[in-house]
Amino acid sequence: MSTRSAPPSPATVHDRQAPAPPVGAPGVRRRRAAHRPAPSPDAERRRRLRARLVVAGFAYLIVFLVVLPILWIVLLSFQQSDQILSDPFSVRTLTLENYRDAIATLPLVQMYKNTIIIATAAVTIGTTVSFMVSFALTRMVFRRRGVQSALLLYFLAGLAVPVYVLLFPVYRLDLALGIFGTYAAVILPYAVVSIPFNTLLLTGFLRGMPGELEEAAIIDGAGLFRLCWSVVVPVMRPILATVVIFNVVYVFNEFPFVSVLINDPDLATISLAVSKFQGQYSVNYGGMMAAATLVLLPQLAIYAVLQRHVIAGLTAGAVKG
Amino acid sequence: MIWLSSRSRIAVMVLPALVLFTAFFAYPVLYGTGYSLTDAQGFSEPRLIGLDNYATLGDDPFFWLSLKNTVIILVVSVAFLVPASFALALLMQQRIRAAGALRALLFGPAIVAPILVGLVWVFILDPRVGLLNRLLVPLGIPEIQWIGGDSLTPYSIALVFSWASIGFAMTIFYAGLQQLPGDVMEASSLDGATRWQQLLHVTVPMMRETVGIVSILLVTNVFKIFELVYMLTGGGPVHRSETLVSYMYFVTFTSQRYGSGMAIAVVVLVLGALTSLAYLVLARRGRSA
Repeated sequence: MSTRSAPPSPATVHDRQAPAPPVGAPGVRRRRAAHRPAPSPDAERRRRLRARLVVAGFAYLIVFLVVLPILWIVLLSFQQSDQILSDPFSVRTLTLENYRDAIATLPLVQMYKNTIIIATAAVTIGTTVSFMVSFALTRMVFRRRGVQSALLLYFLAGLAVPVYVLLFPVYRLDLALGIFGTYAAVILPYAVVSIPFNTLLLTGFLRGMPGELEEAAIIDGAGLFRLCWSVVVPVMRPILATVVIFNVVYVFNEFPFVSVLINDPDLATISLAVSKFQGQYSVNYGGMMAAATLVLLPQLAIYAVLQRHVIAGLTAGAVKG
Repeated sequence: MIWLSSRSRIAVMVLPALVLFTAFFAYPVLYGTGYSLTDAQGFSEPRLIGLDNYATLGDDPFFWLSLKNTVIILVVSVAFLVPASFALALLMQQRIRAAGALRALLFGPAIVAPILVGLVWVFILDPRVGLLNRLLVPLGIPEIQWIGGDSLTPYSIALVFSWASIGFAMTIFYAGLQQLPGDVMEASSLDGATRWQQLLHVTVPMMRETVGIVSILLVTNVFKIFELVYMLTGGGPVHRSETLVSYMYFVTFTSQRYGSGMAIAVVVLVLGALTSLAYLVLARRGRSA
């Protein structure tokens, strides 16, 4: 079937192993048909089905391997701790005890409360100031154009700076401002490190957005605030959603800043609490895994619902359109 | 817009971001760079010592080890991830039932907090309780020190990083593939190109820019690997498994040698800036092409 002397029937032109049909295929096809009967359409269909099954099976296998670590954690979370050491694969000894342990020892509500407060404040501040400055840098008329582009460059330069460089200086700054160890200690840096990327996305969007609506609103007598709030923001909803999702995920997952700037366990975010699990649960592996599952599952559930938006948010900037 | 562009209105719009960014971003970068030129540590008063910290860094075997580990993780994971996630994106383009769900599952690890990723993988890689040795030892393979041993940790970190990033990279490739002009693909198959030829001579060349973008994003993310080290080994034994940023964190916060810590931070800053520059050049070339 795949020898050079026997050009493929048109049905297999798109197949991986099939050699290129020569130009002017119809003539060739006729000649070939005279040599050997074409494979029965039935056999052909079966062969294609088999190829598709192999491809699909391979895809499912890879996805299974990627999901496997999570499944392992969930399995361990239902396993008695001594069982984890002796025979973790057994399913006869599953128990809910770890969850009772974890719920009793883990300040889940407090962790979520802290994280949500910090995320809400940081993302609100970060998105608002980024929007304002992006609007000014793309839409308002500066007396000196140079100032406008210099400012934009100043903010965008932040994209090149790894946040690790900021850890110690911001720690000192928080101490000097007297906000070290409070919510504000992380809210401010979280809001600020989001400005460069937010500005990149928002100015990019604004540049591609026609200004006619805005002009109409101004002629109708709208002030700056009304213009932004009732005309510009509604049009920018998709990109603002992207910005918000990107930043919320960042704050929920961030660890280096919070580990340096928050020392009060009552103010710990989810990430900070998880970092203490190994010390806290020591060899109570089951309890640790139940705690990990309790943190992981809500996050995955939210992801499952908002999947499309989350993926768009996290790949924004790298993916055009 | 000129009507609403009075000086005071511009100030109201620009100042909040400008003040915050200057105070919590620009000033800290300068402050950190300045500190790298001092002998600041513990509670003692810092003194200017010029470039001494950088010279000391050159003699610090742990610094070189952490740089080496970072480079190992970088090379291994980028060399694996770029072709693997590209192939995965091609695979996801095939007609597969529930392909959308599969893509979402593959992306999943990217939204899990790195600190949690670290914890999960402790239970895969740990020589005694980890899944990997639990599966291998019964097959007669001797217990392997995936983490915590002398040499394997950076490779294991590359593995974990690859796990966390493969869906992310695949998604960017997938989006790139979706945007390939359909008429070019059609023309090449009408010209009699086999799928394999089409892939090599049409798809891959047209995806060159995306390959560059994915590679650089991965490099940037490798430089940020900290939580994995923190959870898997804590940098040990004796700093054998540190990355640049985890070693910077140790020197600055655990051993409180602020001057030396900031010198490492400046090295990280320079590397990060170079990577971003490469990204910029690439993105600009892509836009003008």
